Amino acid sequence: MSARLRALADALVMLALAAYAIPFFWQLLTSFKPEAELLRVPPLLPSRLTLEHYRVVITQSLMPRALGNSLGIASLTTLLSLVAGVPAAYAVARLPLPGKRLLLLAIVASTAFPQIATVSPLYLLMRALELRDTWAGLILVHASFALPLTIWLLAGFIREIPIEAEEAAAVDGAGLIATFRWVLIPLLAPGLASTALLTFLFSWNEFLFAYTFTVSEASRTIPVALALFPGVFEVPWGDIAAASMLASLPPIVIVVALQRFLVQGLVAGAVKE
Amino acid sequence: MSAGVRLAALIGLLALGGCVARQESGPVTLVFKYARILGNADPLPGLLREFEAAHPGVRVRAEALPWTSDDQHQFYVINLEGRSPGFDLMMLDCIWVPEFARAGWLLDLTSRLGPDELAPYFPSAVASATYDGRVWALPWNFNVGLLYYRTDLLTRYGLRPPQTFEELVEQVRRIRAGERDPSLDGYVWQGKQYEGLVVNVLEAFWAGGTGLLAGDGTLFPDPARAAEALRFLRGLIESGVSPAWTTAADEELSRRAFGDGHAIFLRNWPYAMDLFESPGSVVRGKVAFASLPGRAHGQRGVGSTGGAHLGISRRSLHPVLALALARHLSSEPAQRAIALGAALSPTRPALYRDPAIVREHPAMPELLRLSLAGHPRPVTPYYLLLSATVQPEFSAALVGVKRPERAIADAGKRLGYFLQAVR
Amino acid sequence: MTSREAAARRRALLCVAPTLIALGALTVYPGIWVIWLSLQRRIPIFGVSRFAGLENYAFLAVDPRFWSAARTTAAFTLGSVALEVVLGVAAALAIQGQRRGRRLSISLLLLAWAMPAVVGAKLFEWLYHPAAGLINVVLGYPINWLGDPGVALPAVILADVWRTMPFVAVLCYARLLAIPDDVYEAAQVDGAGRLATLTRITLPLLGRILLLAVLFRTLDALRAFDIMFVLTGGGPAGTTETLTVYAYRALFQTLQLGFGSAVSVIVFALVMAVAWAYLRLLRAGTVAA
Repeated sequence: MSARLRALADALVMLALAAYAIPFFWQLLTSFKPEAELLRVPPLLPSRLTLEHYRVVITQSLMPRALGNSLGIASLTTLLSLVAGVPAAYAVARLPLPGKRLLLLAIVASTAFPQIATVSPLYLLMRALELRDTWAGLILVHASFALPLTIWLLAGFIREIPIEAEEAAAVDGAGLIATFRWVLIPLLAPGLASTALLTFLFSWNEFLFAYTFTVSEASRTIPVALALFPGVFEVPWGDIAAASMLASLPPIVIVVALQRFLVQGLVAGAVKE
Repeated sequence: MSAGVRLAALIGLLALGGCVARQESGPVTLVFKYARILGNADPLPGLLREFEAAHPGVRVRAEALPWTSDDQHQFYVINLEGRSPGFDLMMLDCIWVPEFARAGWLLDLTSRLGPDELAPYFPSAVASATYDGRVWALPWNFNVGLLYYRTDLLTRYGLRPPQTFEELVEQVRRIRAGERDPSLDGYVWQGKQYEGLVVNVLEAFWAGGTGLLAGDGTLFPDPARAAEALRFLRGLIESGVSPAWTTAADEELSRRAFGDGHAIFLRNWPYAMDLFESPGSVVRGKVAFASLPGRAHGQRGVGSTGGAHLGISRRSLHPVLALALARHLSSEPAQRAIALGAALSPTRPALYRDPAIVREHPAMPELLRLSLAGHPRPVTPYYLLLSATVQPEFSAALVGVKRPERAIADAGKRLGYFLQAVR
Repeated sequence: MTSREAAARRRALLCVAPTLIALGALTVYPGIWVIWLSLQRRIPIFGVSRFAGLENYAFLAVDPRFWSAARTTAAFTLGSVALEVVLGVAAALAIQGQRRGRRLSISLLLLAWAMPAVVGAKLFEWLYHPAAGLINVVLGYPINWLGDPGVALPAVILADVWRTMPFVAVLCYARLLAIPDDVYEAAQVDGAGRLATLTRITLPLLGRILLLAVLFRTLDALRAFDIMFVLTGGGPAGTTETLTVYAYRALFQTLQLGFGSAVSVIVFALVMAVAWAYLRLLRAGTVAA
């Protein structure tokens, strides 16, 4: 096919995908549209752009606090999952573990767990432990939910690392911790990045548990703040659009910038069977 | 365990503990949960600052509740049951008070109120704040279902506000035939699957001479009449008297349609009048309200009463201050400010004849008459259970996926099963 | 067992200990507890707490709302997964066919996938607005998307597919990248046209990853909650109420913990059964492939 036709085909594909992303762009436009023009369509395009909605969201709503909560909870969830997950994945991949087959089965089964199944007992548990409306409660629940997938992915990545590297370290007299630090983790870095990315996204986007276990702005995460966005009497579409943009900004930035790791992670989860 | 692991565990526990601990230092902060008040000027911040000025060292943090009544209820239920609610004063829909009182989430105010403190309020408002002979909340604002109508259109055709729905249907037909405006709807009301739907259906039940709960607690004492009322509502949509989007309409969607001049009749709460009379409104000066119509072979029309109360969480750390704030907000000056600045009606009958308020809202005395004639929804701790269970059934009948008789029968069966556990 | 081996085993157990504790306390224990709850009538608000055996299940067996929710769940899952797979494969093939600008294409796709489901729901709620929503304005015709029982479920499916199709697309794209070029060259040498290449070579090679994608997406669709809860709340007339929404409403709208847990257990069993069936299929597939 000629180069020009090729370029045209490429452009068409990109145009089609840009069209696919129209809902996102429409919401972006809505967030800058003046209030009076929101419900008077057509015309679709605003006469002028305004930052009023963002101002309202940032100064008057609970979104900024929710952003902080989400960032903190997602980061700590990722950290906790990795800290617990790396040793477990290593054990599953390399070490002689009693009952390994059963454990693997349990881990695979856990990835299919529906959240609705455990939300009622967890609600009672959180209530008894006074962990409702705390970061800790949500982090523990998120981490335990993310752990099975984390272990599965990391085990796959670990298996890819040639065992010779560890054996060489053992010959040099390194203990387990040292092998971890100096040999394994550096080689595992891309896999860690992929797993961390997926875990962070899961925690950031998680709604069901967050909705049930958060009370006030002390622990409310972004999805919950958005779902509970208060209206005066009317639904404030412009403000909601602005809040939506702010809510998706961190995950979108991360995902688009770290595309490579995302693809790698998704593939690893699927291909390493 | 190696020292390294032990250290890590300790740090981990401390970090978690730090996350759990909550701020206790600083001035006393009262948390007040409410649904934001609309109006030309929101009087609430001013009232709260007044309170803070009168009580040095006390800050009031006002937090808005979620959007709909059902979401607000779910929010309260999840958090009050979770035992650490984190708020002191709550704005409660009057239908929740018996349930919350029964569940033990509200502070019993009976002994804390003066002997005649509740006398200036509407008796029905006080009744809905009372459960088991004790008082659990202070009435704050009052609502009653009204029929709004376009005075200009009715006058043009020499019509008076309809006494029955059959009259209303006929008037709609005449006016639409005369106006020949395809975008003019007849009667808009709330048919979306939420609490508002139950209100509309209950009003239809009452006009038909039946109800949801009989005096002795029987569910659907007259299922045939209830089904007929439902069928009538469905008929309004099918025949085009009400637009198809009624099944997705809440208070705001219907108010907007009427306020943009696209409807002849509207069923809504008193707050809407203020918005219709605001400068720039398309229907300014062309709207009045009347009692809801009855049925030709049924009862007189009657509007459902509603409104909000102020309740105090039993787990509040500052019950005395919270009660002081509640008293401040439902005091006569505060209610006057709210009635003038916002669109909420007072719970004190005296204010409906207050010169300042009547000047602003000339229809207040008429509203008082209608408020006193209003009918409450069933005052029972099981009301929310009832409502949540019948909402999908009523909605199914309204959109036409279920026959009304079937909807009533299914609703009765489900309610029977759920209430069996509690009664 | 030598002491070396014993040490290795101890080490292994130590490595999995935190995971086992966390999973045990927060996943397995609640998993068992919810079954116990489902056998009770438990309504904290009214102080009800008694053992009820299989009463809740007996009620559900003849409950029209339960079966309606089950049908809705099935329809949502089938519709969603089918659309995602078809569109995902198409997108993957389109991107793979690009010579330049692939990164931009994938970025555009990932915009939809990265956002939380709640944000996607709010997005589509605005798009579906009967008067001012972009869709009705472009169509020029007022469709009552979220209020008409015939259209509501497709509307929810559309919103879900928009957000999750990129997952399938990226998965297929990665697999397509792994197909060596000489496979295509050999096909060209053999005189295969574009359609033949697609159907005889590309799609079969995608087969296994597609099965996996279908597995993941089916499980996710069965468990889906956020999108329909925020977009329609299960209405109108319960036409978008899936089993998960039904369970959540039963649990937290009226705090009927026993009854709600029974619905949750059924969702649980359903999801695990589907997962098990798919895994068997995959195992069989592995042997054959």
